Amino acid sequence: MIAQTLVDGLISGSMIGLGAIGITLTYSILRFANFAHGDMLSWGAYFAFAVAGALGTFMPGLNESIGPFSFGWSLPLALIASIILTGVLALLIDKILFARLRARGSAAIILVMAGFGAALTIRSLLEFIFTSKPRYFTDALQITQPLIAGARATPDQLLSLGLAVVLVIGVHLILTRTAAGRAMRAVSENQALAGLAGIDVARTIRLVWVFGAGLAAVAGVMSGVLVQIRPFMGHDLLLPLFAAAILGGIGSVPGAMVAGLIVGLSEALCVQFVGAEWRAAVSFLILVAILLLRPQGLFGRSAT
Amino acid sequence: MSGAILSTSALIAGYERDLPIVRGIDFAVHPGELVAILGPNGAGKSTFVKAIAGTVPTFSGRVMLGGEEITATPLHQRIRAGLAFVPQTENIFASLTVAENLQLAADILPKQLRAARIAKMHKTFPDLASRLNQRAGSLSGGQRQMLAVARALMVEPHVLILDEPSAGLSPKVVASVFAMLREINRSGVSIVLVEQNVKAALAVADRGAILVEGLLRHEGTADELSNDAELGALYLGRHTARSHAS
Repeated sequence: MIAQTLVDGLISGSMIGLGAIGITLTYSILRFANFAHGDMLSWGAYFAFAVAGALGTFMPGLNESIGPFSFGWSLPLALIASIILTGVLALLIDKILFARLRARGSAAIILVMAGFGAALTIRSLLEFIFTSKPRYFTDALQITQPLIAGARATPDQLLSLGLAVVLVIGVHLILTRTAAGRAMRAVSENQALAGLAGIDVARTIRLVWVFGAGLAAVAGVMSGVLVQIRPFMGHDLLLPLFAAAILGGIGSVPGAMVAGLIVGLSEALCVQFVGAEWRAAVSFLILVAILLLRPQGLFGRSAT
Repeated sequence: MSGAILSTSALIAGYERDLPIVRGIDFAVHPGELVAILGPNGAGKSTFVKAIAGTVPTFSGRVMLGGEEITATPLHQRIRAGLAFVPQTENIFASLTVAENLQLAADILPKQLRAARIAKMHKTFPDLASRLNQRAGSLSGGQRQMLAVARALMVEPHVLILDEPSAGLSPKVVASVFAMLREINRSGVSIVLVEQNVKAALAVADRGAILVEGLLRHEGTADELSNDAELGALYLGRHTARSHAS
């Protein structure tokens, strides 16, 4: 029983971790908590849902399941389109809203409030377009496979976990080994100095939006594959996402993923041993505890 | 201003349009020169060089680099055009390693130049080369200053501007930093140096410019400024026998 709880926690935690990476990147570089990030996740799922639906309609062969998975090639293709479209949406919101506020030198609280407004707007738009009726990428049923110690998981769940691990390693390598990653870290530490080092700060900020939104799209699509797609799916994840970003240490990509797994496991253990109705409280308790005991998070460093 | 590598004309700059700190400065640096910007506290020295570098808004006037106007050029493009600026504080990326600080500056160069330019900096600053994996935030004040200069030199700038490079350093380290600047200047890089340490600055500079209340009040060779007791007493905090007597 406990093994199954741990597997369930790791799978949901990996999705939280992916979403938290986007939050931690935008928070560390743009210096504000973007509460619209959860809704990027929902939009990512719906973009993929729409594209996969269109592909499946015009090319029915793409709907045939790939190996043991519940979905056909239409979904991976739709995921790529969704990453691009969610990135474009994030850039659009930045251009219309956040960039203007930054140019005016608005305080962080103004940006946070603007984020709330943006979240409400794009969530309502989603509901308007797709209604609040839950959607599914596939109606195929999957049989769970035995793992270890009696725990079981579906091929889709294992794929989600694997994809999350690959993406975290990929993002970490990009941040530490590439010019774009170094530029992001430099802008995160000191925007003016980054400009003096010849870095195009505006371009780097755009890259951060695309990066964060792309990861949110993946988290949204995988959550949609494992559970269902709803306009509020991202909003409902907001507290766990922020808990993971802060627990991991703002700016730390591996930290966000490890913390996402911790939040996911804590939620699963809470459901198992305390009661499902307390699940939402777990993230809140983690958030309060980390802010009181170690505000820089597990992997965060205090500024030198 | 003809033949100047860097010049400003009627430059007005500051943080608020109604209250400019730099109030119309005509200034020029010729190729190979090391010019010290001097003046009392609050004269607008740092704001002037920040406006040239592009980190402080310019309200009117012009900044020219190598014959091209850069007044409205974005910050990062000024650097790529050959203007390097080392701020007084927060002039390195403390959370990055020494190697990453150098690599970051090299990233804007064409790929084929990067390795050679980094190797050159390792040779020029051997103390940094032995600390490549050390986090820049853990370096000493002098090492930080070296790293900041090394990062700025990575693009082989035409003009290197430094804002109070001796601030917070011990006299021994100040001497080595100024010796390093002289060496860099001898390699052909024009240098503009904002300094409170008048004696040390004039010892390495070819020329000095004295700013007072946002205006350029006096220019002269380093020798002239060093030996002019009246100027020293008026603007540079040096006391003459007469001022002592009074």
